[in-house]
Amino acid sequence: MLTAQEAETVLLTLKIAALGTGLILAPGIAVALMLARYRGPGKAAIETLLSLPLVLPPTAVGIVLLQTLSRRGSLGSWLAERGVEIVFTWKGVLIATMVMSFPLLVRSARTAFEEVEPRLVGIARTLGCGPLGAFFRVTLPLAWRGVLAGSVLAFARALGEFGATVMVAGNIPGKTQTLALAIFHDNQIGRDDRALVLAGVTAGLAFAALWTTEWIAGRRTRRIAA
Amino acid sequence: MIELALDLTLARFPLAVHTSLGGGVTAIMGPSGSGKTSLLEALAGLRPRARGRLVLDGAVLLDTAKRTNERPERRRMGYVPQDAGLFPHLTALDNVRFGARGDAGRVDNAIDTLAIRGLLHRHPASLSGGEKQRVALARALAIEPRLLLLDEPLAALDVGLRERVLPYLLRIRDEWKVPMLYVTHNVGEALALADEVLLLRDGRVEAQGRPLDLLSSPGISAEAEAGIENLFPGRVLAHDVDGGVTRVQVEGGPQVSVTVAPRRALGSAVTLAIRAEDILVATEAPRGLSARNVYEARLVSLERTGVDVTLRFEIEGAERPWLARLTPAAVKALEMRPGARAWLAVKSHSVRVV
Repeated sequence: MLTAQEAETVLLTLKIAALGTGLILAPGIAVALMLARYRGPGKAAIETLLSLPLVLPPTAVGIVLLQTLSRRGSLGSWLAERGVEIVFTWKGVLIATMVMSFPLLVRSARTAFEEVEPRLVGIARTLGCGPLGAFFRVTLPLAWRGVLAGSVLAFARALGEFGATVMVAGNIPGKTQTLALAIFHDNQIGRDDRALVLAGVTAGLAFAALWTTEWIAGRRTRRIAA
Repeated sequence: MIELALDLTLARFPLAVHTSLGGGVTAIMGPSGSGKTSLLEALAGLRPRARGRLVLDGAVLLDTAKRTNERPERRRMGYVPQDAGLFPHLTALDNVRFGARGDAGRVDNAIDTLAIRGLLHRHPASLSGGEKQRVALARALAIEPRLLLLDEPLAALDVGLRERVLPYLLRIRDEWKVPMLYVTHNVGEALALADEVLLLRDGRVEAQGRPLDLLSSPGISAEAEAGIENLFPGRVLAHDVDGGVTRVQVEGGPQVSVTVAPRRALGSAVTLAIRAEDILVATEAPRGLSARNVYEARLVSLERTGVDVTLRFEIEGAERPWLARLTPAAVKALEMRPGARAWLAVKSHSVRVV
């Protein structure tokens, strides 16, 4: 069984991952759609830049975020004047996980949007839909599977994020300690047994998320094919 | 009434269509890649780079000089692309309803016109080609379009299916009275449906006129990729079911035997289509020949057309010339010169009734 503090860690992790995924959904879809439709110069450069957090060491992303968001940083000082503290708070954890999972959502959604024939969108327009209507009635329903897959990947990534989080938010039990950080902490203080339990919980959560997605997508396919 | 002055830069040539069209059905013909689909898309508002003017029954939809460019959703054009373009995630019914803004009466009307009531709960993936086209036509009709833009709606269908869908198009023309622009390669469809033919070539209007005049003028029909040079209006005279032939009296011309078409009523108007290469030419009266149609004729002129030679014959008492196509070698062997006497032979099977 989990201790009270461990349960709190699980809850915090879930909250951060869900909230982060929810917050990046709209901007992620918008960026993915732009990348899917944009054909002009600099397309490759923009895509590479957006995927950079996937391949950089998370600690490198973390140090950049820390510099920007700390009280001495450009954005951080502006926020501090308005009474908003990011660094070493749960908001720091949230921002670190959002930055790390954003590219995963965008990549998956972009591929899905690219597979929607632009012609169908054009036909929707001739049938009286504005650009937004055509998006919600044609593009999104045809690409929702990719968007869902991207969201789940982003959620799973948020569950396991370590490097950027530890740089921006530290490892404060009950405040900024997520599952990934707690596992590391338990190992450091010689409690590998507890670390293993938490690893099992993390694996269970990730498995449940991925499996649910597969299940929903599979059910939906059968209905259309029938 | 459609006033058109459209300019659009395409990859291979500029599309420049400057003309006006009547309110009925206009068949747009021309070789593949002559800009037919781009023209329809520009009219529907799906080519934002199109410049010029487009006025439909007094409504200005595009006027670049006055910075007017109506968005596609406000043009009310019923666009049906070649492959129907149905939304795969919606049932046939939801496809038809898509643009109808909840007007159940219009949706019902469209469903009845196209006779698709039995298909409504199926998804496009499970519909046949002809069914898809009918659903797409109903979807376009349900928005009560100012103009229907049909891009080869029958091209993907085999001949039998084509004849089953064509009546629905006639019904739309006659019952809904919606003006149509209709892209086709098929002369029979153009003759059956259209009041006017617009022939495109490399993005420009090559010719425009009444279907029968335009499609039977020499040279033009080849450009339309029709390949049918001889088109003769006529009336059904008699059916000889045992003999397997139907006799047709060509207006101001000879009688022609065609393969039996018992569904054509006696006295009904038909058009006969004969390809120039299907006409045999003999310099003596042929005997013991299986062809049912043999006519004595006089050669008026010859013209080199591509690798072949097109010969223009006059049959005594016939108003229209008959065109035959031979290889230069055959012309040489027969010693064909203007004024020469000849016999033209055509098998009943080579005459299409449209």
